[in-house]
Amino acid sequence: MNRSDQTDAGAAAWILAQEEDCWSDAAQADFEAWFAASDANKAAYWRLKHSWRTADRILALGATGAPGGEHAFDAAPSGYSGVRWRVPASIAAAVVAIAGIGYNLSEGLGGRETAVATRQFDTAVGARQIIELADGSKVELNTASRARAALTEKSREFWLEEGEAYFEVKHRDGLPFVVHSGNRQVTVLGTKFSVRRIGSEVAVSVLEGRVRVEEVEGKRRLRSTVIAGGDIARTDGPATLLISRSEAKVQNSLAWRDGMLNFDQTRLAEAAAEFNRYNRKPIVITDADVADIRIGGTLPAGSPDAFVRLLHDAYGLKVVHSPQAIEISN
Amino acid sequence: MVDDEKIEAWFCREVLPLERSLVHFIRRNWRVADDVMDLRQDVYQSAIAGARAGLPLNTRAYLFTVARNHLINCAKRARIVSFDLVADLETIPRDIDMFETERHLEARDTLHHVLAGLQKLSPRVREIVELRKIEGLSIKETADRLGIGKDAVNHQLLMGMRALADHILGGAGKIVRHRYSRGRKAGKP
Repeated sequence: MNRSDQTDAGAAAWILAQEEDCWSDAAQADFEAWFAASDANKAAYWRLKHSWRTADRILALGATGAPGGEHAFDAAPSGYSGVRWRVPASIAAAVVAIAGIGYNLSEGLGGRETAVATRQFDTAVGARQIIELADGSKVELNTASRARAALTEKSREFWLEEGEAYFEVKHRDGLPFVVHSGNRQVTVLGTKFSVRRIGSEVAVSVLEGRVRVEEVEGKRRLRSTVIAGGDIARTDGPATLLISRSEAKVQNSLAWRDGMLNFDQTRLAEAAAEFNRYNRKPIVITDADVADIRIGGTLPAGSPDAFVRLLHDAYGLKVVHSPQAIEISN
Repeated sequence: MVDDEKIEAWFCREVLPLERSLVHFIRRNWRVADDVMDLRQDVYQSAIAGARAGLPLNTRAYLFTVARNHLINCAKRARIVSFDLVADLETIPRDIDMFETERHLEARDTLHHVLAGLQKLSPRVREIVELRKIEGLSIKETADRLGIGKDAVNHQLLMGMRALADHILGGAGKIVRHRYSRGRKAGKP
């Protein structure tokens, strides 16, 4: 158990105990002593108390969320102390209320479902594919990628389920091109950009024009950011990191279109992972300090042999080729 | 000297919303994943101690400076870290501005966000948290209603509270089970 675990567990226990009826003067004294003992205790206590109070908001469900617009509960007290009205309603009612809100939200924000013929694309490890779409737009799919496209008179939609793709979108007035990837949605009119998705991370790099990157949850749009040529938006879950005015980085991130990989002060572990996207025989780094070596340069994606030879010659690292993998160590 | 009440208000209003960025920053600059939560706590502790002399004008710059100094100190103490790490840390002030999106949630968004956190809890923990938050049941009342021991209820609530806090502040919101030793009476009706 870590230090912070212990402090956190202690703080959580105090918060629960304080909400109980049997809170005594002796307990209060004990709590004050614990609280005054260190700023770490205070930080943990304030952090949990604040979040726990925030969670009180689910009470609002009782006040407004009942299906049919009827108020299931009359009062919506704000603090915990006010929660102690004993409504004889079962917990099932609350669950219905939650479901009701979720239903209303998704109804309100988009119920358009049209049956559209979709095209499916897959690329093998190490392969690249150029796709011509019916509207004249071009999509270049990188290694180990999976995507779908659905184009109609009314909408242009593309799903990048895994991997990386570069888009050159033809401009059509009033007909945006939408790329869905993970919990992000990229909306453009006509421009050149790329989207890369690995696990929960989605990165959008813009070569020309402007695109709108939105975080979506179900059919709800949460936050949106507009980025322009030379910008990169990296996202992971709810977090978004913007890298502005870095044309060179955008160009480098598109080096794969020429079959190259570009590294700039990249950790060896990340460089190896990048190579492994393109090759069936993985490069495995067995030493932690080797993994942290920084490398730079442009290398062909399809020939990891050239890369490991360089590691051997320039850094004196040991390279062992086995049938399953290429192992690098000190 | 700033009193605790003012510091608490400042901490909840200005520091906690930065938690996601802070954890991300620590994770990016520290190799040992197991240390991240401890480091975050150290940073909070130092930030609170420093704020006693006067609340900072720019909380973001202040918090990340504290974090950066702490990581450098730890790195020097650990003597295991390459110069690369320290060199990276020197460039932080430039990096900070890159986190342009922060959590400024509307009330409705917050509700939605809390609900998403609830969905991540296991059904049993979620039920107990809802009984507490929506019906306002005490530990004993919850135990009686569900026919389980008070220790079990207490244990589940502690897990739920911490997992929810993690989710609300931008983390993964996962329940970590090994953290509490179950009471001996747990599970007894």
